[in-house]
Amino acid sequence: MRDKYAIAGTATSDLGRTGKDSLELLEQAMRRAIDDAGLKAGDIDGIVSRGPDDVYTHHQRMGARLGIDVRFSTSLDNGGASQILAVALACMAIDAGLATTVITGYGRNSWTRTHTDEGNRTQMELVPQDQLPKEFAPEYGYFGAPATHAFGARRHMYEFGTKREHFGAVALAFREHALRNPNAVMKKALTMDDYLNARMIAEPYGLYDCSLVSDGAGATIVTTLERAKTLKQHPVAIKGFGTFNNTRGWLVEDHMIRLAAKQSAEAAYRMSGLSAADVNTAQIYDCFTGMVIAQLEDYGFCKKGEGGPFVASGALALGGSLPTNTSGGQLSEAHVEGMLQIVEAVRQLRHAYPLERQVKDAQVALVSGHGGNTVCHSSLVLGRV
Amino acid sequence: MSDLMPLPQPSIETVPFWAAIQERRFVMPKCDACGTVSFPPTVACGVCAQTNFTWTEMSGRGIVYSFVVYDRVYHPAFKDKVPYVVAVVDLEEGPRIISNIVGMPIADVTCDMPVTVVYDEVRDGYLIPKFTRRG
Repeated sequence: MRDKYAIAGTATSDLGRTGKDSLELLEQAMRRAIDDAGLKAGDIDGIVSRGPDDVYTHHQRMGARLGIDVRFSTSLDNGGASQILAVALACMAIDAGLATTVITGYGRNSWTRTHTDEGNRTQMELVPQDQLPKEFAPEYGYFGAPATHAFGARRHMYEFGTKREHFGAVALAFREHALRNPNAVMKKALTMDDYLNARMIAEPYGLYDCSLVSDGAGATIVTTLERAKTLKQHPVAIKGFGTFNNTRGWLVEDHMIRLAAKQSAEAAYRMSGLSAADVNTAQIYDCFTGMVIAQLEDYGFCKKGEGGPFVASGALALGGSLPTNTSGGQLSEAHVEGMLQIVEAVRQLRHAYPLERQVKDAQVALVSGHGGNTVCHSSLVLGRV
Repeated sequence: MSDLMPLPQPSIETVPFWAAIQERRFVMPKCDACGTVSFPPTVACGVCAQTNFTWTEMSGRGIVYSFVVYDRVYHPAFKDKVPYVVAVVDLEEGPRIISNIVGMPIADVTCDMPVTVVYDEVRDGYLIPKFTRRG
């Protein structure tokens, strides 16, 4: 499907502490994306959204809000891997003749939802009580996503000599990018001392290893590249996509240090005819710092185990060898489960940013999505037309 | 949130595991055909696809694959427990389970450390398996 389809429009909702409902955020992002493409809601004949999981941003409800009936719509349930999968499914639906112009998106009000009262604010989990593990977790005091991911971080440290300073280098690089992004939630510079001295959440992960609890949504408009060329924005071509799911689970074999990202990347590179060496900017699913290091290895930007020194070299900076999460990522911009990574990749490839935010002459962007209890992975390779 | 220590809520499939733990026995389903131990239980063996299993006594030995240290309280029942270690333990017979490492200084816990099972009372006489350094 290389170069047959394109992202013709994209947008985010308000980000951060909005006081808004999840569906309201997603509708806002979708309407902005439709506008961005120079289209009207009635031009959309497909919807792929994320859900159902903890928040039901379902395709039917989004269609109702946009006031449209559509030829193709569904909701995905691959966690943070859903957002790229939605773009891939949009391409497949158009390719099958089931739609011409598909809107994809995800949004949730994680901050507002957890700050409506004190009981919610101190709640460790974003998922509803009835979906939490009932054994081999609460009786051992095992709570929250940070610990699950910190198992992988610890093992990576043990096997490869990765240090907390390496995880810190990821947090610092993305914070520096957020300071250039007026919409980013985090506005304050972060030093290595701040990072190392912050409170522990689930050791080895401290506060700045963990992504933000924030409100936000994002959306994209997928159509044929040919049609996208006639629309308002400079189109961004979909070069390739891939997925892989370690469905046997995070705790099986070495899944927590060798992610499904490896096979997903291979599929996306194969479709695109490109490799890691061709990528000018990466927008990586950064739920936790260590996951960035593991993915950079799995995507072939460095060898397995060498991700720590790679990020410490300054590679991730704007102006580095692989400018990564150039809007600040989920660690410093806002956490919308990989949706904002897609938006940022599209914007970089449009070359529409002021110089201090623009990856110079970006031609190829890689986007990763990860989630669903750390099992699911998706990859997207985008190219400037 | 209740201040009581949470007890495991067994699924239909794990009832025999937790029942045996109350008798200080550590049992898991072993495939009658090929001997593979599957836990959590499955309908058919993941290796040979046969469907007959026998709940069999395990050695209780394993090694720590990875672990985290909680020094913050995320549940009121754990306010006097911090700091504590939650670990992923590789059992000698194959399965990997979540548990705590107890009975040793936290600073000495490492990946690949050999451990053995101990039975710890959560409350009201209810036991759960935990692990401590072996050898």
